[in-house]
Amino acid sequence: MPSARDLQRQINTVKNQARVFSALQTVSSVKFRKAEARVKRARPYAENVEEMMRDVARSASGDLPLLAGREVQRVAVCTLTADRGLAGGFNAQVLRRTVSLRDEKDRGALQVASGRKAVAFFRFRRVELAEVFTGFTDNPSYEQAREIGRALTRLFEDEEADEVYLVYNRFESALNQRPVVKRLLPVAPEEDDDEDSGTSYMEYVPDAETVLKRLVPRYVETMVWQALLESAAGEHGARMTAMKNATDNANDLVRDLTLQMNKARQAQITQEILEIVSGAEALSAG
Amino acid sequence: MAENREQRGEGRQLFCRVITPEEVIYDGEADLVIARIADGDLGVLVDHAPLVSTVEVGEVRIREDDEQFVYATSDGFFKVSENLVQVLVEEAISVDEIDIDAAENRVEEAERELSEVSEEAEDRDRVIKEIERRQRTAENFVRAARKYREG
Repeated sequence: MPSARDLQRQINTVKNQARVFSALQTVSSVKFRKAEARVKRARPYAENVEEMMRDVARSASGDLPLLAGREVQRVAVCTLTADRGLAGGFNAQVLRRTVSLRDEKDRGALQVASGRKAVAFFRFRRVELAEVFTGFTDNPSYEQAREIGRALTRLFEDEEADEVYLVYNRFESALNQRPVVKRLLPVAPEEDDDEDSGTSYMEYVPDAETVLKRLVPRYVETMVWQALLESAAGEHGARMTAMKNATDNANDLVRDLTLQMNKARQAQITQEILEIVSGAEALSAG
Repeated sequence: MAENREQRGEGRQLFCRVITPEEVIYDGEADLVIARIADGDLGVLVDHAPLVSTVEVGEVRIREDDEQFVYATSDGFFKVSENLVQVLVEEAISVDEIDIDAAENRVEEAERELSEVSEEAEDRDRVIKEIERRQRTAENFVRAARKYREG
């Protein structure tokens, strides 16, 4: 049984840790609120670009390479993680999803990594990285989305990859981020639901092909941009939740240890009293 | 408002949204929307035929009652459908809010970057095109701010 003094030392350590966790939680919750507002403000743009892409792709007859699929031999996967850890399963779950996608599509897939955690993960597993982007995951700018989008488009255009996938955490709430896979390229028009757009008349100026040519690169950037924002909000949310749990655990531990320490101290006092009493009895008996 | 909503149901009120990747800049009713699309300036009134086009670097003007809202924009996309005009651009700013000094700095920065593009860069054309685009957008901000503030 540890002594009361040892227990006191342990309690102080855990209390200090709890203070650090709680500070991290506060910082994350401020960043989280900002990132959450940002992702929500940005959604209308992404939704509209996506909708326009669907409409135009359906109307265009040209065989733009970015639109028309070709036989798939090589796949590229771009994974978005955070730069830092301490965010619960946030990074691990998206990396796990990436690995299962690679197993399913192409074990030798070209890998693109955004976020230091993804870079470290793939380097450790000796997966060669085609492109690396780091240093902005907790507060991305559109410029970075453009860079990533351009790199991914280039992989497709140079025929290094015949399909490009994006894997990232979609932000749902501070408690919940879901890893999702999105195929970026080729942008194949969806065949199934043409009940509204298929029938409605739409004029393209100058024509659908010209609009499409300009839209596709913007579309790719926009999808990356939205994914970066979702991932950033998810990162802060996950860290906030993880730090809250850590703080709660530390506080529980302090409570348990305090109880143990009190018991130990009580036992010690009882022991001392017993010794004094039995000593006194021995004297009086003599 | 109730009356307007009713009008919208009958397709008599035009609405306009100007959207950038960061946020929705304008979202509301409009009597007239003027923008420079692929084949020139286009004015959209209520009950316009559905149309999709590109927007060139320039300005989007929205007239609503007796007010006029003018936004300087980068290039992007333009859509009219069911009395909703959507302008999707990477950058849009109300001409009243343009920081002329900052915009001029951006122009200079773009010029400097252009002169520094390496001759051997593998995607030289693309890089140059991208910088020129930024430059045009910033120049447009300066031009629009001067035009609307002085007059």
